[in-house]
Amino acid sequence: MNVNHHPTLEPAFVLNRRPYRETSLLVEAFTAKSGRVGLVAKGARRGKIPLAPVLEPFRPLLLSWRGSGELFTLTVAEPDDSVCSPRIWSVKSGFYVNELLLRLLRRHDPSPDIFEDYRQVLKRIPVPGQEEPALRIFEKRLLAAIGYGLSLDQDAETGRPVEHEKSYRYQPGRGFVEDHGAPCISGDFAITVRGGTLIALGRETLQGSEQLREAKHLMRTILRGYLGEAPLASRMLYR
Amino acid sequence: MTDNTLIEHLVTSLRCLPGVGPKSAQRMVYHLLGRDRDGGRILANTLRAAMDDIGNCRLCRTFTESELCALCVSESRDPSLLCVVETPANVAAINRGTDYNGRFFVLLGHLSPLDGVGPGHLGIDQLKKRLDTGDIREVILATGSTVERQATAHYIAEFVRERGILVSRIALGVPLGGELEFVDSGTLAHALSGRGEYR
Repeated sequence: MNVNHHPTLEPAFVLNRRPYRETSLLVEAFTAKSGRVGLVAKGARRGKIPLAPVLEPFRPLLLSWRGSGELFTLTVAEPDDSVCSPRIWSVKSGFYVNELLLRLLRRHDPSPDIFEDYRQVLKRIPVPGQEEPALRIFEKRLLAAIGYGLSLDQDAETGRPVEHEKSYRYQPGRGFVEDHGAPCISGDFAITVRGGTLIALGRETLQGSEQLREAKHLMRTILRGYLGEAPLASRMLYR
Repeated sequence: MTDNTLIEHLVTSLRCLPGVGPKSAQRMVYHLLGRDRDGGRILANTLRAAMDDIGNCRLCRTFTESELCALCVSESRDPSLLCVVETPANVAAINRGTDYNGRFFVLLGHLSPLDGVGPGHLGIDQLKKRLDTGDIREVILATGSTVERQATAHYIAEFVRERGILVSRIALGVPLGGELEFVDSGTLAHALSGRGEYR
């Protein structure tokens, strides 16, 4: 059983929340030290100063909770506005990132590095021109953190370093092998990508529309393998 | 009292109402049975008729028993103004509390991508058709201010603008009678960035 008494405030973000009973909220939070946790915010939708407006996604928060088992009871929630002020922006990518965390991270599995990466990606999404590269870097680091890291600088077959001008084919569970134009067997994952894109993704220096487009398709294909059949709900917002 | 008496059945049925727990449901049942059987009969008949006959307005999606609601039929309202709200309750609130004299469009919800509520659930196609009639000069977005509701507003604003129609959004800020020190920082930031000329 997971017993947790958490008297200190922990940096956190709300990934998703939904109404629970008459006045409460069920909050799925991502915390710096405790990973993803499920919290019940009792009476958050009513009272003199309701908590619901504080428990908004994408806003840096300080949370504490108590209880045991799968769901904890939220005790304190304060905005951590010292970190960055919330602003209005197109939140499509924000929902997408939240959905990735909800689908790929298990509860009570601390991942402090991903927490920091998440904070960074939220900061970079609203910056013009940084949204796409920031999402790709986040996806890559998230995969590494959950144990599916990609070896982007080495040919999985020959062990030779990846070369800029060559084309590489992604093989699930194995990595990238040089593409000699042979017909692909596993149709679903048939994706080839240039060495330059792999190197840039590895070094986190993606630039140019062509590289970004290739990296996006590549990450989408790879993630599909780990997300399973159910489509990403946040994609509904992309027309 | 056993679980399957009519009384118990009625108590359980009343609990589908918001804010009604077992105790208050029981009080309502005893009140109707003991003191107001006629009232109970009227309630039952009206409830049945309402559940069977009330649908959604063909134009604005609010609740109505006719094909078109009174607001959409009314000739005295400005057809070039369209206020987009989430619920029929919002329509009532704006109508009662403000001097807004345009038409409405009711989404019957807001985008909540992670819970599977997408544009298809909000009558977006219907709204687009309405915009394409060419009668509308301004769309006023009157959704709430949670992240999902702002995302809804943003989503709608994009395709309204594409059609060359003016989009506005109801103001966010300090409530009337409110004191600044008790307003949360997010609201205050909105109030300051959306400040208007003093008149």
